[in-house]
Amino acid sequence: MGSLAVELNSVTAIYEGERTPALHGISLAVEPCELVGIVGPNGAGKTTLLEVINGLLPIISGKVSVLGQPVLPSSHRLRRQIAYLPQDLFFEPSTPFLAKDVVLMGRYAKVGPFRFPDRSDRSLAWEAMKEVGILDLAARPIGRLSGGQQRKALLARVLAKRPQVLLLDEPTTSLDPASKEEISHLVLQIHHELSLATLTVSHESGPLLDRADRVLTIEEGCLVSDAPGNGAATPITARAQCP
Amino acid sequence: MFGIPTHIVLPTLLGSLLGGLICSLMGVCVVRMNLSSLGFAMSHAAFAGAALGLAVSVLDPLWMAILFAVATAAMLGPLSEVSRLEPNTIVGATFPVMMALGLIFINLAPSASVGSGALSLLWGSVLGITMADVLKLGVLAFVMVVLFIGFGKELLAILLDRKLAAASGIHVRVYYYLVLFLTAVTVALALRITGGLLIYALMILPASAAYQLLYDIKKVFFLAPLLGVLSALGGFLLSLAADLPIGASIVLTAAAIFFACVGLSPKRRRRQQRAD
Repeated sequence: MGSLAVELNSVTAIYEGERTPALHGISLAVEPCELVGIVGPNGAGKTTLLEVINGLLPIISGKVSVLGQPVLPSSHRLRRQIAYLPQDLFFEPSTPFLAKDVVLMGRYAKVGPFRFPDRSDRSLAWEAMKEVGILDLAARPIGRLSGGQQRKALLARVLAKRPQVLLLDEPTTSLDPASKEEISHLVLQIHHELSLATLTVSHESGPLLDRADRVLTIEEGCLVSDAPGNGAATPITARAQCP
Repeated sequence: MFGIPTHIVLPTLLGSLLGGLICSLMGVCVVRMNLSSLGFAMSHAAFAGAALGLAVSVLDPLWMAILFAVATAAMLGPLSEVSRLEPNTIVGATFPVMMALGLIFINLAPSASVGSGALSLLWGSVLGITMADVLKLGVLAFVMVVLFIGFGKELLAILLDRKLAAASGIHVRVYYYLVLFLTAVTVALALRITGGLLIYALMILPASAAYQLLYDIKKVFFLAPLLGVLSALGGFLLSLAADLPIGASIVLTAAAIFFACVGLSPKRRRRQQRAD
């Protein structure tokens, strides 16, 4: 078996200026292609866990690795293999960016400075928009799309990036029930199609948690349970094919 | 032109146009990144630095203006990141200090250098621009364009959302400080056009006007400098025709363009329709 997609060993993290750690001695291993749901009450440390995995929040003790490499705040290159969708990221109506440019930005970090996205980058972005069903919205300003359409654009950005690890923070929050359903199924589709290790935070039940291989429960910064999810019962052939 | 010798008109006109170009180009980043108040503090710091240069004859006012503006950027950037105070509170405390320092330095300056020198720092002295100044502005404009093209993708990603850009693997801090540094140098170099009190208007107004009209930031990067150059040209001609101070005329022209764009803004109309 290859290296783990995500590995945390006794990780403790604390926000600057705070006295109580937001995460306390968390150990965790996520296999490639695994879909992991993270649940817990508000303020339990779910978002912090994703920020620690992505290196956006430095840890004070323990060790975090992604794809076998240690994660540090300076791990910009490693972050190119990780896609992160923050919670409640919605754009103002006057935001001066077109949906297609937001999707193409998924390729930017991989292209690198003083270079321009080439035909293959544009083609990946185009295919991603087609796949999530927003091709007709490509030339619209991102801020003038509905909440569900904005989420789809951000998922297309994830798809265009071609990451190996996907971190989703409440991906269906603030959406109407139909959009929640649609976005959840898109996430599952992307998870399977790209054979991703996906960690998704949620505080409510839904298709994502229902299909998760494992569900972690976090309370007060501690991992209190790590239980098999419904997805674990799914026959392996119906799940993502890992190399 | 208007009875003014060409050797004075030419550097003045070129300096104003280049000033309008670099200020408004920088303004696109400053406005979108909500750095307006930080830039305001920088322009006051540049004023204080230049005033120190007047007070101490061995120091060059231009380099002191750059030094003060860059030092302010270097200090306020991390301070707003790590302190628990709101960035606007820190900036609000900084710019009166810089203004006070500037006035003290002018007070300490030898009387010979105070008269025109001090006034030019406050209100600008675009007629005093030399071809050497034009060359410096030209070099900065060239460097800025090269950097904006070279790091265009990264800057665009940061202008959309800093956290998303950082999460996607872009070294946000480096580009953030690049923007702060370029803003500081722009403010300091363009100080003579409108003076320390008004230079920031030339940075904010054309960019804000372009944002009113467009939904595509790539087009904003073209329109804002165009409006900046138009403001400089219009202000220059207004000043000569009506015998007004050039710097103030440029800022008034930029303000007129801004209000016209607000009136024409499809974004504003859309907000109004929603409210109705």
